[in-house]
Amino acid sequence: MHTCDLNVSINKLSKIEGHADLDVVIKDGKVVDVDLRVMENLRFFEEAVKGQSALAVPTLVSRICGTCSIAHLTACTEAVEKTLGIKITEQTSVLRKLTMHSLMIRDHALHLYFFVAPDLFGVDSALDIPEEHKELIHQALHVKEAGNNLSTLVAGRSVHATYEMVGGFSHVPEKEKIAPTIEELRSIRPMVLDLCEIFYKCDWELKRKTNFVALVTDDFSYLEGKIKSTTGAVIEEKNYWDHLHKVIIPYSQASGFEFEGEEFMVGSLARLNLNKDAMHADTKRDAAKYLAVFPSDNIYHNNLAQAVEILHSIDHSIELLQKYDFKKEEIVKPTVMDGEGVGVIEAPRGTLYYWLGVNGGKVRYANLIIPTAQNLVNMREDVRQAVTNLCALDDDRTVLENKIRKEMEKMIRAYDPCMSCASHFLKINWK
Amino acid sequence: MNQPKKKVGVFSITCDEGCSIYLIEIFNKKLVGWLEKMEIKYFLSMKDKVEIKDFDIVLIEGVISSERDLREVIKIRENTKILIAMGTCAMTAFPSGQRNNFNAEQLERIQPKLKEFSYLPKCLALKDAVTVDDNIPGCPIDEKKFIEVFEKHLNA
Ligand code: SF4
Repeated sequence: MHTCDLNVSINKLSKIEGHADLDVVIKDGKVVDVDLRVMENLRFFEEAVKGQSALAVPTLVSRICGTCSIAHLTACTEAVEKTLGIKITEQTSVLRKLTMHSLMIRDHALHLYFFVAPDLFGVDSALDIPEEHKELIHQALHVKEAGNNLSTLVAGRSVHATYEMVGGFSHVPEKEKIAPTIEELRSIRPMVLDLCEIFYKCDWELKRKTNFVALVTDDFSYLEGKIKSTTGAVIEEKNYWDHLHKVIIPYSQASGFEFEGEEFMVGSLARLNLNKDAMHADTKRDAAKYLAVFPSDNIYHNNLAQAVEILHSIDHSIELLQKYDFKKEEIVKPTVMDGEGVGVIEAPRGTLYYWLGVNGGKVRYANLIIPTAQNLVNMREDVRQAVTNLCALDDDRTVLENKIRKEMEKMIRAYDPCMSCASHFLKINWK
Repeated sequence: MNQPKKKVGVFSITCDEGCSIYLIEIFNKKLVGWLEKMEIKYFLSMKDKVEIKDFDIVLIEGVISSERDLREVIKIRENTKILIAMGTCAMTAFPSGQRNNFNAEQLERIQPKLKEFSYLPKCLALKDAVTVDDNIPGCPIDEKKFIEVFEKHLNA
């Protein structure tokens, strides 16, 4: 057990989305302060959306975050549709599911292969992975490319997609491209199963009792359902605001959140803990061993959960592409121009909430809650727990400091945090 | 004769990092070939940071919004042979510099934040602050144009 005083500062955590700093202060062997600060510069979306046409706002907010732009586009589109009385067609709903699956495949693959895998091999970057494991990088490129190609087919592009809009999709997938896409998705399945195996075998562990929250959907499609928590709460999408409370984080450009007064976690681990039975039959068959791990309190199982989700997104996409005969459809028009509406979806990193108020077709206010912001308090408490565990070991001061540096980055990375997103909590304006 | 590998840096200032994410998608097909000619020295999305020093080619995405951004861009310029503006933000200050278009009322509301975090009065495109050698337009970057411009400098 340590009795030392130590300040550890990490400027610009790497291999996460966006910029964040971390300070840990240890006095007398006890963690007295954990400061996790989001250092992204603000881009003032809360102001930029005001007065803009509601139909144009989803494209505007998709620029909040490059990596999960499809999630912002989709959640905001849903909020606009609910506000303006638009009922989307079954085909639009299928295309939207495919769009979300394409996002999950490439975004989770980026995180696991490029951000996390280097830690598995004790190297700095995916490019430095030892020769005998280089195959993994080739697999990474294939898996990401398959997700990227699926995005291009259904949504036009993987970053700032162009086909998805309020009321429908401007294009439908070209028939001749469907079979090769299914083929490509099939071809990456074994690679993703290998990836599951890697994270199943990985012995990293940090357990701490916490609450998990997710939008639970019937077909694990990330889009429509009820917000549920491991404490048993079941909430309608539109009532979310009564259960989430903002927590101010000093010196940070983002705020944190509590769910019914307690810290909580959102993201893949939460989804698997709450809803693994809704996964695709093929995934349940081939990933049974991995699914048996959940529910889990080990934060590092978020990595395994992401790998299993890639598999599910592949399997569900194959089924949807096989089943539907896509035809050109009219975009559904608004029936009203005033009101308010809520859009809730599961983004790669967790539940994403949009709440819009619209007057005469123009946005009056927008409030949105980002997954990473919801995770900030839980992340901070995990850092505290992990550093406390390290202090209990009998290392000398320098060893301890180095361990803290390495382990904290690794642990924060397990959350797959997105700081570009987290800095864009939109302030609510009640008038 | 083998040429020494070009030292490449990818930097993000104020933006959504959509261009660098899209660059990682372009890597799906191109990375293996490019790695024969380049070494990625700085790319926070892929590796831990190193000192900003001795680059051959640097790609920067985003707009200059704060004093910190400005200092970083100047330092990068002093330490690279070629500087490429990656994406519409870096080229024109939009969309990430959307506050430049705010009306007086909106500007007043964001004023406290501008002060608190030492933001510049207006967001700048890279060319407003330093010399830029090449541009890759698009939001995110256009794939073909990226490959064309980047390979030109990689093979130079
Ligand atoms: S140009 Fe577009 S994609 Fe690129 S950083 Fe700016 S907002 Fe993001």
